[in-house]
Amino acid sequence: MEAFADFWATYSTLIFTVGIHALLALSLWLTLSCGLLSLANAAFMGIGAYTAALLTLHLHWPFPMVLVAGALAPAAVALVIGAPTLRLSGVYLAMATLAFGEVTRILVLNLEITGGPEGLNGIPLLTTWWHILLILAAAGFALARLRRSRMGRAFEAIREDEVAARMMGIDVEGHKLAAFTLGAILAGLAGALNAHSTFFISPREYGFENAVDILTMTILGGISSLIGPVLGATILTLLPELLRFLHAYRLAVNGLILIGVVLFLPTGLWDSRRLRQLVGAWRTRREGKP
Amino acid sequence: MNRATKHLLFAAASLLAVSAVAGDLKIGIAEALTGGAAQYGVPIRNGFQLAADEINAKGGINGNKLVLVVEDEQGKKEEAINVFKKLIFQDKVLMIFGPTLSNSMFAAGPVANAAKVVAFGTSNTANGISEMGPYIFRNSVMESDVLPVTVSTAVKHYKIKKVAVIYGNDDAFTKSGYDVFKKVLEDQKIPVTTTETYVKGDVDFKAQLTKIKATNPDAVICSGLAEEAATLMVQARGLGLKAPFIGGNGFNSPKLFEVSKTAGEGTFVGSPWANTNPTPANQHFVAAYKQKYGAEPNQFAAQAYDAMTIAAAALKSIKVTGNVANDREALHGALPKVSLSGATGPFKFRQSVGKDGKPAGYDADQKPFIYVIRDGKFVLFTGK
Repeated sequence: MEAFADFWATYSTLIFTVGIHALLALSLWLTLSCGLLSLANAAFMGIGAYTAALLTLHLHWPFPMVLVAGALAPAAVALVIGAPTLRLSGVYLAMATLAFGEVTRILVLNLEITGGPEGLNGIPLLTTWWHILLILAAAGFALARLRRSRMGRAFEAIREDEVAARMMGIDVEGHKLAAFTLGAILAGLAGALNAHSTFFISPREYGFENAVDILTMTILGGISSLIGPVLGATILTLLPELLRFLHAYRLAVNGLILIGVVLFLPTGLWDSRRLRQLVGAWRTRREGKP
Repeated sequence: MNRATKHLLFAAASLLAVSAVAGDLKIGIAEALTGGAAQYGVPIRNGFQLAADEINAKGGINGNKLVLVVEDEQGKKEEAINVFKKLIFQDKVLMIFGPTLSNSMFAAGPVANAAKVVAFGTSNTANGISEMGPYIFRNSVMESDVLPVTVSTAVKHYKIKKVAVIYGNDDAFTKSGYDVFKKVLEDQKIPVTTTETYVKGDVDFKAQLTKIKATNPDAVICSGLAEEAATLMVQARGLGLKAPFIGGNGFNSPKLFEVSKTAGEGTFVGSPWANTNPTPANQHFVAAYKQKYGAEPNQFAAQAYDAMTIAAAALKSIKVTGNVANDREALHGALPKVSLSGATGPFKFRQSVGKDGKPAGYDADQKPFIYVIRDGKFVLFTGK
């Protein structure tokens, strides 16, 4: 028991980070499932984090309310900016959302209430393991249900072929906006949870680099199922810690592993189709059938 | 993880267990050794290592050897927390030096404070660091201690009546420097003709400088990092702006002269450490550092070197029992009493007051050195 207490004391923040990153990867998975390559999720995370932190620090709201506000604030922003930007597609959308991320960062940098470049410190530690677990499980369940729903099928149709989807009577704009906004909610939640587990937030945590980090996690894990993004987030968060014994070489080894995955598993680590094939091949070999 | 790596890990772990015999004093070092902040983190680590090696070579502390557990916190807040927790709960160190950046300290400091372990910053200059709790220490001199002296010295020397201000407004370090300058100028009742801003990475400051020139100030106060400040000085001279500059801690880098050459003549800068300070402690440090690392030390290495000496003095005054919790507490009690004269000059701690009005952590109580730039070099200002 003492061994577990020691382990938990040492690694609780790391485990929290895994959960929060998984939530972020899922948020991007949702927008990607509708064929939207968005780089705005880091900014949504930041909006959620700042909203939540400010409500806790200044208005002393109860934590559940803070989490709700942290999820709704980026959703409102997503609704406003989504309408014009989601007309774009592919790399143009990526650029527009990237610009939005930069605008958000510079705004936060220059506002008085957000503490400018110095950020906000002294945020109380309110996030516990079950908050993260509960939210992650709820998000996972909701997304799994969503995939099989009318809306989820519509997302998939839009991703595969927008014109065909429109011909079938799917409201393309409405569904895109829904995917974008729901993604923002998840990212905002992740931001609120993160702000209340690390004591401190600053604008540089929600910039371009972080947007790319989220994208890497999602793509590395694979977007063919919900397990992929969670797996990608877990690996990318834990790998640097597991490689700590390599000291100065760990970032290099970390990078090499990523290159290896991208070269040899371009569809991500968790590709349901490939896994099914593998399992099938293994079964036929064992049962001796041709 | 395959079996081979597992074995390797076990071997490494048992090796560590063997090397850390009773009588070793484990000190955690959490500094940014990779990433952007490594330019500060690496000299800091070197400073610690140099001091610890010297102490061990002289027989250690009351017969016990100092063992440094060095971890890279990459200048990221999550990493800083992870490293702090690893050092506190797994390596069971007596105290932790670091992290490198103020931001990381804001994230990791509360962890150490809650675990009742001393976190000793040697490079955190932001306001509010030591206010986080009684276990937070630093020997880095805050801008609010340096800048008033810099400004008043320059004002006296140049007979300054009014100044213009320019600063980088997207960086925590330069922005907090500006806040201090603003307060100092208000306190010393020096009117500001105009306040201009730029962002990190800017290369053209002519618009701001033209405005500044139009207000005809006696001096230009600049809170910026060396890279931007150097370009700024060159362009100011190009526009015919002759007023001298007054800089913050960000100016304290040889990089300033790589670009500015002699454009910065007459600039006043305050620093917690003087390379040429003739005290034996400093001369010894400069020579030993050069010999060990083959490079010139900087203020960060000097402050780290002094911090280790301060911790060693505190460790010497306590009886180490081997019970980690008791030893940590004893060390925490002994640290504030240390006062000594190191590479950065005479040093003692000053207790700060927390947000709740209770006594909190400890700041450095030290006098800064004032430099003036002459012939493209920092020269200690002696009143002439």
